[in-house]
Amino acid sequence: MNRPTPGSTPPSADRRGVLLALGIASAALLAGAPLSFYEEQLPGTLSPLYASSMADHRAQELVFDRLFFHSAIDNRMMSRLVEKGELADGGKSYRVTLKPGLKWHSGTAVTSKDVCFTVSAMLDPGTTSPIAEGYRGVLAGCDATTPQVATIRFTKVFHNPQERLMFSLLPAEKFAGKTAIVPDDDFSQHPIGSGPFKGNKGRRGVTFEAYANAHHAPTIPQMSLQEVQDPLVQVKTLQSNGVQGIIAVPPPYRPDVSASDDLQLKSYDLRSWWFIGVNTKKGALVERKVRQALDLVLDRSDLRQFTVGVKPGEQNSPCEFISGPFVQSSPFYNRQVPVKEKSDRAAATKLLNEAGLTQIGGRWHYKGTPVTLNIGMMASLDVEAPDLLTQVGNQLSAAGFDRQESKVSADDWARKVVTGKASEFDLLIGKWSFGLVEEVNDLFQTRSGTTTGARNVFNYSNSGADQLMVEYNQSRTDTAAYDAYHKLHRALAEDLPYLFLWKLDTKSAWRTEVRGNVIAPFNYWTEVDGWKFQ
Amino acid sequence: MLALGAFALLAVAAFAAPAHLVEPEPSRSFAGPLDAWPFGADRAGRPLLEYAQQGARVVLGPALVAGCVVAASSVAGGLLRCVGDPRVDAAVQGVGEVLGALPRMVVILVTALLIPSTSRGLLPLAVAWAVLASPGAMDEAAAVAERLGGARFVEALRAHGFSWTRIFLFHVVALNLRPVVVRQAAEVVTQVTFLELGLSYLAVQDAQASFTHPDSLKSWADLLYMGYPSIVLDDIPTEHALWTGLAMVALVTAIAKFATSAARAR
Amino acid sequence: MTAWWIRPGVRLIAAIILPLVVPAIITLLIWALPGDPAEIICPPETCGGTAELAARWNLDAGAWNFFRAWMGDAAAGEFGRSWRVEQGLPVRDLLDESIPTTLMLVLAALVPLVLGAVGSATGLIPPRADGGFHTVGLVPAVVFALLGAAYVELEYGAQSFLPGANRLRLVLGALVLGLADGAFAAAVSGVRGLFAAERDQRYVGIALLRGERPLANMLPNVAPALAGQLRARVLHLLSGTVVVEVVLRINGLGDLLWAGTLLQDFGVVLAAATAFALVSAVLLVIQALVEIAVAMWVRRAPTVRDGAAASPVVAA
Repeated sequence: MNRPTPGSTPPSADRRGVLLALGIASAALLAGAPLSFYEEQLPGTLSPLYASSMADHRAQELVFDRLFFHSAIDNRMMSRLVEKGELADGGKSYRVTLKPGLKWHSGTAVTSKDVCFTVSAMLDPGTTSPIAEGYRGVLAGCDATTPQVATIRFTKVFHNPQERLMFSLLPAEKFAGKTAIVPDDDFSQHPIGSGPFKGNKGRRGVTFEAYANAHHAPTIPQMSLQEVQDPLVQVKTLQSNGVQGIIAVPPPYRPDVSASDDLQLKSYDLRSWWFIGVNTKKGALVERKVRQALDLVLDRSDLRQFTVGVKPGEQNSPCEFISGPFVQSSPFYNRQVPVKEKSDRAAATKLLNEAGLTQIGGRWHYKGTPVTLNIGMMASLDVEAPDLLTQVGNQLSAAGFDRQESKVSADDWARKVVTGKASEFDLLIGKWSFGLVEEVNDLFQTRSGTTTGARNVFNYSNSGADQLMVEYNQSRTDTAAYDAYHKLHRALAEDLPYLFLWKLDTKSAWRTEVRGNVIAPFNYWTEVDGWKFQ
Repeated sequence: MLALGAFALLAVAAFAAPAHLVEPEPSRSFAGPLDAWPFGADRAGRPLLEYAQQGARVVLGPALVAGCVVAASSVAGGLLRCVGDPRVDAAVQGVGEVLGALPRMVVILVTALLIPSTSRGLLPLAVAWAVLASPGAMDEAAAVAERLGGARFVEALRAHGFSWTRIFLFHVVALNLRPVVVRQAAEVVTQVTFLELGLSYLAVQDAQASFTHPDSLKSWADLLYMGYPSIVLDDIPTEHALWTGLAMVALVTAIAKFATSAARAR
Repeated sequence: MTAWWIRPGVRLIAAIILPLVVPAIITLLIWALPGDPAEIICPPETCGGTAELAARWNLDAGAWNFFRAWMGDAAAGEFGRSWRVEQGLPVRDLLDESIPTTLMLVLAALVPLVLGAVGSATGLIPPRADGGFHTVGLVPAVVFALLGAAYVELEYGAQSFLPGANRLRLVLGALVLGLADGAFAAAVSGVRGLFAAERDQRYVGIALLRGERPLANMLPNVAPALAGQLRARVLHLLSGTVVVEVVLRINGLGDLLWAGTLLQDFGVVLAAATAFALVSAVLLVIQALVEIAVAMWVRRAPTVRDGAAASPVVAA
């Protein structure tokens, strides 16, 4: 059945839209200074195929359009590029009709050839991108039947095909038809997109120039992204109007921002939750009861108080405990599984004794040797939750475990932890961030090549959990998907490959001169066209 | 005596350093020295004395080892010049020039990254730094030996009937090379201290595991990083952290200075 | 007596081979790092193109092949593109920006050091001032640099990378390099110590009795040691540029070296290290020339009669 794509507009309105956009853009260009903001870190690349940090994803959202995206306002699936989308071939392909008048930042038209080029680039084995690798299990190919119509083929039938097409569109002309896109291409520094801004990456920041288009009408003529390491300096510079925004304000500095009348704290929904990964293949942690005991040893309330700064019983806390691999506001979250806020040492001791551990001189021993827990933590988390590593270590030590603590750099996290090679650790403190679709199969499914369990940090393997994740993959309705993940939540809360900690709200700070600043979950800038800066 | 006293103070502090900081006490957050004797407290209310102690443990041993390495190289450089073999001189000099031209921070960083993050410490970095600094020290000691007369000086003393051991150890090293050897060693001790501070901060900035110590320990860099905003910004009550950190660095510099002065005294 | 030409000769030979040897050593060092950049960007467990990427970047055939290929390209002025530091940017562009910046920074930092050295050699800076210099030098470079960076950021905000702010960063960086970490104090006391030791020599006493200026007598003899000290100071400054440039966010070679090593961007590290080696080579040549000049002068000057002095010194 032919259906207009949600969010599309009729053709005559597009011409008016172009004129309006050009008019607004011209007026805006005559207006003031750039909108400057501090990011957590400088983007490493502006090429969407090689995004590896949240800063990369956010910067690329300003420069590129994704074929489909979730509206930040009502969560509907939308597209600024596609006028009409329909399933074909019994659900094994999806035909998109592009809107007319879309242009790349170079001025040339966006056509179906670009859609198919993007798909081909992701399928090309010479494109050495983990993001592209993820699409290789989903996409099979693409045919450009007319300049406005492309048919994208899937590897199988998906119940949510538009969710599989949320990739950024790339310009075929920039690569002269070569579909093998490498990370050190000039495109990473000087990309050409179809998004609301042209991006130019420098050594100390990225500048964005507004580009009016048929489907974009940004009112802010220029933006600039910079990085400053010290959050205190960031906040002070914001207060003195040296910059207009900070993407992520660490919790200890939020009271300063809240106290200022010129600033506002805005929620940035990252769907991120914190965890302590447990190496279920090492030493005493092989025993489920030991993992459950560790879960009871942790006093999450104290951890939260001493690191994030949230006092027990505080209202509207930015830090919400979780009992499974989803945030509480997610439809996948199983509310029947309770959260453990406080520790229960007596219950923990009972479990450890049942697991065969003995306490000698106040220290736990397993099979005659003292249990020493090697705890690692993603180093960047220290900014949001200072001293978390030390506090977790202190609690485990107080419970009778020896411990060793170390931080893990981003490169080591990507190279060793995510790939399941960090077996020297017993526990790993980390954070996962999701878009609106929280698919956790990659985290818990038994690892197999690059197809399943790609982010299974300790190569956890549980046939029951695997079955539930297969059930999720095969579900054809949202209800079936929710059901599968509810069961997975319970199963993981019992088996504990992770000790689930909390969801910590990310907050941005913006000066009140910045208006209409709707912040989209995950990608942040999806609704930047509506932002105004006076 | 002053050098020994200052060293003893730091050594005791290092020896008594706790393996882990105490539990937080939020009610004492950023307490001053009068409320949390002797150095005040951090954001979590933990005493800065423990930071100072742990920092001493991180720095003292490796810095001394580095000083000894440079001292030994320096002595070797002076003695080799006294041997008077131009081929040996040329070889030592050639190796020294190449070592001296290596970008030091790359060598240090690579050394740090080669150590597993669970076993990191300052000692390998201090030794690497000392090895890279050795050519300069050897050069200077060799220049002093050459001004003595080099091989002719040694021959003259042999003619007086002194043994080789006495000539080299007493007349060359103890009497003449001593000031430059001790000064070079003392400089490297302070350089390693400053190196640790720099690397500690850079690890925090680049979201890395610490390059110079286990992540469960604090270093003097944490004191300085906590304290420096109090200078540029109002209403940041962390001056006591800054002064504590600077005092620790001053102690190390004092040790170096007093040791150098003592070595020059005759 | 050792032939006078050996030391400067070794320095000149070292200057020639440094631009080859230093990159080779650095290649071996960074090759030893765990993992490689291809695995970091495209881990084989999550991405199928690791081998292709490694082949593209010459990482699949050993350190020697990588080094040979890089040297061949570098000889033709081709340094490739940055893999991770500024992904996609030609390394040459990075060098073009960084080399002059670091040279300016180091030269500016040398000014207080040279002035201090001259002051202490001539006695203009009295020994009692050393205490003050040591006190200032107590402050670690990283603290001064942090203060400077915070000041620039607070003062300029979003404009803190415009030319005016960048000049301020350079000036602050030069002050940090020149004064902090005991650099200035070490320069002053090092030169003072050198001249103090020389002043104890008999020939200086004899020169004084003759009514000659001691400095003029001492200078030719201490010149090689002075040149050596200056070279050591410059190399020390160069290594200090890493911390200063990273903290003050100056686009120099030190910043490139640090980021390149941390991110295993081999092309950037090698190019920056070779630039460092070239600077060292130039310093070596200068030092060698000073030594040759002094040796020439020694040979042309009248010698002191036998028995009048034990050491081969020059009378002014």
